[in-house]
Amino acid sequence: MGGLSTSLLIGVEALQTTQGALTATSNNIANANTAGYTREVPQFSENQQTHEGNEVINGGVSLTGLQSVRDQLLNLQIQNQTSLQSSADTQSSLLQQVQTYFTTTGEDITSELSAFSTSLAQLSANASSSAVKQGVLSSGQNLAQAFNTTANGLTSAQSDANTQVTQTVAQINSLTSQIAQLNGQVAQLTAAGKDGGTTEDQRDELVQQLSSLTGISVMQTSDGETITTGNGTPLVMGSNSFSLQTTTGTDGMQHVLDWSGNDITTSIQGGQLGGAIQIRDQVIPGYLSQLNTLASQFSASFNAAQAMGFDSNGNAGQSFFTVPASGAAAGMSVSITNPSQIAVSSDGSAGSNGNVASLTAVLTNALPSGQTPAQAYANLIDQVGTAASGASTESTAIGQNLLQLTNQQSSVSGVSIDEETTNLIRFQTAYEAAARIVSTIQQLNTDTMNMMS
Amino acid sequence: MRVNPNFVPDVLAGLQQSQTALNTALQEVSTGKRVTQPSDDPAASANMVQNTIETNDVDQYTQNVTGQLSMVQTADSALGSVVSSLTQAVSLGVEGANGTMNASNQQAIATQVQGILSSVVSLANTSYQGSYLFGGTANTQVPYTASATAASGYQYNGNSGVNSVAVGDNLNVQVNVPGSEIFSNSSNDVLGSLSSLVSALQGGNPTAIQTATSTVSSALNYVSQQRVFYGNAETQLNSQETYLQQETVSLASQQNSLVGVDMATAATALTQAQTANSAALAAAAKVLPTTLLDYLVPPQ
Repeated sequence: MGGLSTSLLIGVEALQTTQGALTATSNNIANANTAGYTREVPQFSENQQTHEGNEVINGGVSLTGLQSVRDQLLNLQIQNQTSLQSSADTQSSLLQQVQTYFTTTGEDITSELSAFSTSLAQLSANASSSAVKQGVLSSGQNLAQAFNTTANGLTSAQSDANTQVTQTVAQINSLTSQIAQLNGQVAQLTAAGKDGGTTEDQRDELVQQLSSLTGISVMQTSDGETITTGNGTPLVMGSNSFSLQTTTGTDGMQHVLDWSGNDITTSIQGGQLGGAIQIRDQVIPGYLSQLNTLASQFSASFNAAQAMGFDSNGNAGQSFFTVPASGAAAGMSVSITNPSQIAVSSDGSAGSNGNVASLTAVLTNALPSGQTPAQAYANLIDQVGTAASGASTESTAIGQNLLQLTNQQSSVSGVSIDEETTNLIRFQTAYEAAARIVSTIQQLNTDTMNMMS
Repeated sequence: MRVNPNFVPDVLAGLQQSQTALNTALQEVSTGKRVTQPSDDPAASANMVQNTIETNDVDQYTQNVTGQLSMVQTADSALGSVVSSLTQAVSLGVEGANGTMNASNQQAIATQVQGILSSVVSLANTSYQGSYLFGGTANTQVPYTASATAASGYQYNGNSGVNSVAVGDNLNVQVNVPGSEIFSNSSNDVLGSLSSLVSALQGGNPTAIQTATSTVSSALNYVSQQRVFYGNAETQLNSQETYLQQETVSLASQQNSLVGVDMATAATALTQAQTANSAALAAAAKVLPTTLLDYLVPPQ
C-alpha cells in the first residue's frame, strides 16, 4: 500500500524513533553524574523503500537500539592502575602509622638513646653520686620502654593490616558474587545481539571497585567476563563466582585461601589486599627484626660491659638489661633495681669510675652487626622514611596516570551536557516536524474525504 | 577526537595539589622545620639520630669539663701550697743546720717543721665536693691518718687507682694522681722527709739536719714535677672546652641544615602556594557552572 498511508506510517515511525532518541538523551542527562555510567547513543537506520510506478512504498526510519559508548581497553588500563594506586595508598597509610613511632617525640628511641648516652657521660664525672646513678638507671628504663613502644607500635600496625586483609576479602567476595550475577545478564543480552547497556555499566563499575581491592586480570569470553587474580586464581567465570576465604595461619596472621582451599597469600599483589599483605608480611617483619637485633645486641654488649666492672658494693656487675630470646625489642627491660648495681668501678673501690668508659663505649663502638647503636637505628629510620615517602610518591604518580586515563575514558564515554542539550533541541525539532507530517497527512485525508461528499 | 566533557576531576586534582603545597608551606613556616617526620627527608632524619645524641653529649661533656676543671684547679692549688710549705721547711732546715743555733732554737724550728708536716698532711687530705682528691679511687675515706706504726707518723688509706673523665666521644682525661704517688712515694717520700727533718732538728746534729734538709729539698722538686700533671690536665681541659664550644655551634648548624627551614625560602614558597591556590579556585569558580543552558532562552 502506498500513498498517504505510507507517509502517515513514516510520520508515526519518526515520532516513535524521535521519542526513543529523546529517552536516550534524557537518560544521559539524568545519569550525567552517575559513577560508571556510559553515555548512550541512539542508533537510527533508514528503512528499505520500494518504488512501484509513481508510488513509493515503505521507507521511513527505525530505532535499532541504544548503543553504550565504551572503550574496553581503557577500562582494563584503568582497572590495572586502580589496583596499583590502591595498593600504594594502603601501604602509604599503614607506613604513615608506622613512621609516627620513628618521629622525634622526646620519648622515641633517638631521644632516649641520647638521654642514656648523656647520663653515662654525666656518670663519668660524678661516679659516686647516687643521684646521677639513679639518672642512668631511669634513662636505661626509658630507653627500654622506647624500644617496647616502638615494637608494639609496629605490631599494632601489623595487626591493623591483618584486620584489613579479612575485611577486604569479605568485600571481594560480596563484589564477585554481584559481578557474576550481572555478568550472566550481560552475556544473555550479548547473545541476543543486544547492547549490554546499563547492566554492563553496573558490572564494569563493580569490576572497577574490585580492582581497587586486589590486582585482577579480566578476559572477555562467550559467557561474559572471566576475572582472576593477578596470578590466575579464579574469582568470576561467567555467572559463577568463586569466594576467597581467610584462615588463621601458624604465624597468627590471616591467610587467604582460594575457593579450593589453597593458600594464595604470598601471590596476591595489588589493591588494598596486596598492599596490606605486603606491609603485614614483608615490610613490618623486616623492621621488627632489625629492631629486635638492635635491642638484643645492644643489651648483650651493655651487659658485657657491666660484667667487666664492679658495682658500688664491690660486686661484679650484673646484667643491666634483660631481653627475651624472641621479641627482644618488645620485651626489653632493665633488670637491676638499685642504682648502686651499676658497674661504675673498674677496681672494686667505690670511688673508681674506670668502668664507665666501657659502658659508654657500647654506644660509640660497633655492635656485632657492624654498626653503632645510633647508626643501626638511623638506618632503620632511613628505611621507614624512604618506604613511607616512596609509597606516597608512587600513589601521587599513579594518581596522575589514572587521571589521564579517566579523562580519556570520560572523553569517550562521559555525558556532555552541552552535547545532550544540542541533541535535545535537535530531537525536539525532529519531533515537531514529524508531528507536522502526521497533521498534514490528516489534513490531506480530510480533504480527500471532502472530495467524496 | 571528542573532548572530555567532565573536567571536574581535573579541577579537583588541581585544587588538591595547590592545597597540599599550601599546607606544606604553611607547616614549614609555622614550625620552622622542613622535616617533621622521617618521610619528609629520610636521609636527614637518619642523620639527626647521631646529631641529637652528639648535641646532648656535647652539653654534658662541657659540664664535665667545667666540673673537672675546678677540681683539677683545687688539686693544683693544694699542691702549690705544698710546694711553698716545703720551700719553707727547706729554709728552716738550712737555718737549723747552722752551727750557731742552740738546742732550744732548734726545738722551736722542729716545732715549726712539725706544723708544716701537719699542714701538708691536711693539704694531702683536701677534698672536693665530698671526695678526697689524693686518695686514688678510694676517695671516700681520709687518705692520710696519724699512725704510731708508720715511719712518717701517717698511714696512707687510699689506693693507687686513677680516674679518667669523659670529655668527648672516646676522649677521657685522667684527673687525679693518687696520694701514694705524690706524698708517700717510696723514693721521694714527702711526709717521711719532713718527719725525718723534725727528728733531726730535735736531735740537734747539724750533719743529720743537713742530710734531712736535702731529702726535703729533693721531695720539693718531686712535688713540683707532679704538679705539672695537673697543669697539663688543666690545659687539656681548657682546650677541650674550646673544642666543645665549636662543636656545639657546628652541631646546631648541622641540625639546622638537616631539618631546619630557610625562612626566606619558606615565606616565598608560602606566597607562591597562596597565589597558585587562589588562581586555581578562581578558575574553578569561573568555569564550573557554565553550560550551553546558560545561553538558551528557556521554553515559554
